[in-house]
Amino acid sequence: MNLTDTNTAVRVDGLTKKFGSFTAIDDVSFTIERNKIYGLLGRNGAGKTTLMQLLTGQQFATRGTLEVFGASPVENARVLQQICFIKESQKYPDSFRIEHVLASAPWFFANWDADFAQRLAVDFRLPLTRAIKKLSRGQLSAVGVIVGLASRAPLTYFDEPYLGLDAVARQIFYDRLLEDYVEHPRTVVLSTHLIDEVSNLLEHVLVIDDGRILMDQDAEALRGSASNVVGKKTDVDFFVAGRDIISRDGLGGLASVTVAGLSEAERAGARAAGLELSPVSLQQLIVARTTSTSAG
Amino acid sequence: MSAPHRLWECTLMTLIDAPTDTVASVHSRTAWTRVWNVARLHLVDRRTYIGIPWLIVGIAFVITVFIAQIIGFTTGGLGTADAIEGQRYSWAVLSPQWYLIVVGVQAISFGFPLALGFGVTRRDFYLGTALMFVLIAAVNAIAFTVLTQLEQVTNGWWLDSYMFNALWFGLNGWPVDLLSFFVVQLLVFFVGAFIATIYMRWRMLGMVIFWSALALTIVGTVMLITFTSSWPAVGTWISAQGIAGIFAWLFVPAFLAAGGGFLALRRATPKN
Repeated sequence: MNLTDTNTAVRVDGLTKKFGSFTAIDDVSFTIERNKIYGLLGRNGAGKTTLMQLLTGQQFATRGTLEVFGASPVENARVLQQICFIKESQKYPDSFRIEHVLASAPWFFANWDADFAQRLAVDFRLPLTRAIKKLSRGQLSAVGVIVGLASRAPLTYFDEPYLGLDAVARQIFYDRLLEDYVEHPRTVVLSTHLIDEVSNLLEHVLVIDDGRILMDQDAEALRGSASNVVGKKTDVDFFVAGRDIISRDGLGGLASVTVAGLSEAERAGARAAGLELSPVSLQQLIVARTTSTSAG
Repeated sequence: MSAPHRLWECTLMTLIDAPTDTVASVHSRTAWTRVWNVARLHLVDRRTYIGIPWLIVGIAFVITVFIAQIIGFTTGGLGTADAIEGQRYSWAVLSPQWYLIVVGVQAISFGFPLALGFGVTRRDFYLGTALMFVLIAAVNAIAFTVLTQLEQVTNGWWLDSYMFNALWFGLNGWPVDLLSFFVVQLLVFFVGAFIATIYMRWRMLGMVIFWSALALTIVGTVMLITFTSSWPAVGTWISAQGIAGIFAWLFVPAFLAAGGGFLALRRATPKN
């Protein structure tokens, strides 16, 4: 293992996964650095779960290279022991109770913190002796969240971990994740639709659409990368002419246009021209980017 | 509470892993520990492999005693050699096996997706599952053999009621009972697991092909034996094997199911 590798958790190059004639992951390349929180964002069916299954050795790639901690994860015990994958559709044995999951998880995750798991169970108000199959969707998600957090695996994947969780429970998840991440830095990959909710958590964003990586950017840079320009249609059109227009909206004589990359001087110019500028949220930006590509 | 232990673990981790891994790494477990942990995962809920099967045995036993007493009352006695022989036709001794074949299926259909989620390799999962099957089969074989002997010593639990000395059990001495219980239990587990693995690997298409092939093989064999008028020869061969011989032959399908399951699972993917 050379020095450049010690900072890389995942390296993917030309990765392709086909199911019959359907290409779920299409020639994807990216790297995931250690000890950062990544957001894997994309629409339903974009390939998020398939990608995570490839990264955890659950699926077999059709083509391309895939290295996790310097080696292929497929059937690699050294690599897989460092990974925790919380799948939205995770299955448990029919008779299992929550306590069985929490009792067996430490055998597979060397960094498991049982006290932390107990505290989280209280936070999420989980009845430990209840059968898994009798849990509500939200409670089932909470079980996954607890395993994902308390495992403290060097590389943790959360695949839409919040399904069915109410707003309070989701906030608890985000808070605990951040607190524990600060104390025990590790690599976290979070796939989600609720982009704005996790926006402040993410350090890096990967957007996947139609099996391809659409964006691979630092979250901070991405947040400041676009602005909304609102004003009279004629003024707006004049200002945005020749710029990188992400999306356009209008009502009567008014227009609202999202443009990329405005400098401080350009912002001042826009305000002087009587236009209103507002920041674009990560979610708006990604919605705009993913809808425009599927339309075109 | 476990702070000193953690400290020790961290020191050990640094000693072992320092050259290769940096932050937040975990020290690798040995192959044996990983396989054993999978066996423990199956047994973490003790009801599945121990509680429910023995509950079924208990209920079957109570029912067996009741039925024996009813028959005894109407026929005027259970103590005769005829009455003991008559009770051999009961299948109660195998009653937990119908449940355990489902358990064999679920060991794969539920256990496999769970184990992969816990970062277990397919190889370690299968070896741990097979180890657990062998252990449970051994424990069950010993328990049923002991019960068969106790039943003989107590003359049917002092009630002339026989459940364990039934079918082919309790005829040729305890070593044969031990062998036959063990192989039957192994076969039940591995066949259940094999069927579930075929589904895990090839889904519905695999099931259709598997069951069609099995049915064709059976019908084809029967046809071959019939057309070549070999039934008397088959009968002679079977009776020549004896009870121990027949059950020793059952190791062949058990081994085929175990090996085939291993090969099929190596490329299987969990369902979404």
